[in-house]
Amino acid sequence: MKFHRLRVAAACVAASAALLAAPANAQSASEIELARRLDQLAAELASVKAELARMQRERASATAAAAAAAAAASAPAAVAASPAVVASPVVASESQAQGSGIALGPSTVLTSYGEIHYNRPTHDSSKAVADLTRFVLGLQHRFDEKTKLVTELEVEHAVSSSSDPGEVEIEQAFIERQLARQWALRAGLFLIPAGLLNENHEPTAFYGVERNFVETAIIPSTWREGGLQVVGSFDNGVTTQLGVTTGFDLTKWDATSNEGRESPLGAIHQELALAKARDLSVFGAVNWRGVPGLLVGGSVFTGGATHAQATTSSRVTLWDVHTRYTPGRWDLSALYSRGTISNTAAFNTPLVGSASLVPASFDGWYGQAAFRLWSRGDLSLAPFVRWEEFNTARSFASLGTGLTPDAAPTERVITVGANFNVGPGIVFKADYQRFRVSSDADRFNLGMGWSF
Amino acid sequence: MLAGTTVAALAAAPASAFAVDYLSLEEAQRLMFPDADHFDSREIALDATQLQALDAQGIRGRSARWTVRIARHGDTTLGVVVADAVIGKFELISYAVGIDGDGAIRQVEILSYRESHGGEIRLPAWRRQFVGKTQAAPLRVGDDIANISGATLSCTHVTDGVRRIVAVVALARRNGSLP
Repeated sequence: MKFHRLRVAAACVAASAALLAAPANAQSASEIELARRLDQLAAELASVKAELARMQRERASATAAAAAAAAAASAPAAVAASPAVVASPVVASESQAQGSGIALGPSTVLTSYGEIHYNRPTHDSSKAVADLTRFVLGLQHRFDEKTKLVTELEVEHAVSSSSDPGEVEIEQAFIERQLARQWALRAGLFLIPAGLLNENHEPTAFYGVERNFVETAIIPSTWREGGLQVVGSFDNGVTTQLGVTTGFDLTKWDATSNEGRESPLGAIHQELALAKARDLSVFGAVNWRGVPGLLVGGSVFTGGATHAQATTSSRVTLWDVHTRYTPGRWDLSALYSRGTISNTAAFNTPLVGSASLVPASFDGWYGQAAFRLWSRGDLSLAPFVRWEEFNTARSFASLGTGLTPDAAPTERVITVGANFNVGPGIVFKADYQRFRVSSDADRFNLGMGWSF
Repeated sequence: MLAGTTVAALAAAPASAFAVDYLSLEEAQRLMFPDADHFDSREIALDATQLQALDAQGIRGRSARWTVRIARHGDTTLGVVVADAVIGKFELISYAVGIDGDGAIRQVEILSYRESHGGEIRLPAWRRQFVGKTQAAPLRVGDDIANISGATLSCTHVTDGVRRIVAVVALARRNGSLP
């Protein structure tokens, strides 16, 4: 009973502390009074816990099996061993590991991000659309001091049914186990560490209403696979990620659709939905953050994509190099990525004349500069400009004269706009995109997003 | 973050101990003040006026009561150490700040970190950015503290926490609560 009350009190303290920790521009007298009462409550709680620990210690020493009993009651025993909680502030002490100065958090955390877009083509306003592009709920749970579950459930385009355009999908579902100080293991469905955006795809993390083209058309963000991954983080600033996962399924290529033209790998990814898994893929990524503000890295992913279901076997390989530099108010980034699919001639031959054949290679790069022009309190405005060049069918395998498709033209897109942030969790965006090849697609975009 | 944190805190109050622990507070304070022969723990309490003074500086006091460890060598005060915890992206980051007698930051140490991404804030190169800065410095990410790509929220929240601690210690020194 006493434990139950303590837990309720702890929940109240933690919840109130979270409320008090929320950003705000002004701290009213009532809030200060609340802070004072909260401190008082925390002090009383600490006193009750110390008393409880003392009683349990006495009880433990009174029994013949004192040693075993003390081990079983490890948490209270820790309180007894170090009654003075040294970490501060005092309000936070309820969430501190007693005596160690190590803070605890809630075992289960609810997260969310989402974005709403408005796209208006400047040459044909009849194609303007407004869309709740995605709404994501995440649940993280700590099983113990080394092990946690990370999940994300996503709904795209607001409504998912047989007559609506929406999709419901699991974006992440993996267990992470800390093996040692520098090594962790992930198992399950996780994001592939490719490029700058795939693992950091929340709307507050990138500039522009829409994600950049290179990291959607070439790198199929949000790209995830099922498998095992080892993560190493080292004191010299190097982070390595290595893994074995499911891969792509070339046999699902639809030559009558334009999907493959828009994103070759986006058209054949499997997302761990009854994924064909005879052929496994491997990946590796290295990122270096040894100088504050600078990130330099690269990744490679390769694996079979035909799963013994085609006359020839094909391999998909995608690699990228990327950098981001954030000195002061500037945020500069650049990325190049290139993908190849092997042995496509035999696959394409029976499809000659179709809308889209499988490309042998595809690539793209972008450079982006953003500048935090204005900020006041938790508000900030950052204009940006991004130049992209990408080609989703850079080359095709030779099918013979007159049969081999021409390479696609390289699209060039300039995006100019601004992000307006309200604190770290809310962003409003506006931008204009001009296309050099598909100039009919020139458009004006508005967006809002959140992430916590 | 507020709603998620609140809901989670209510749903899961009996949190078990977990962490990727890098340092204990005792280890951190010995690293920061190797010449200290003892540390005195002192609790400082801010009144409403002082909390409002912090608020006027754009610093939310969060708590009126703080525990500070005073590093001493004999009778000489070398500085203070304050430990705190902030939410990174989803989970708590524990850290400690050592402050010299003149109010300059001596060292920032990450005690524990458990996010899946962003652990690079414990890199010495990032933490060295704080060394020597005082309350007069902006102590803001994107200003005098460089961000780490992929760890924006962790960087921002730890930096905000360090700025708050520096301000609280400066305030306590002005009103005589700390030597």
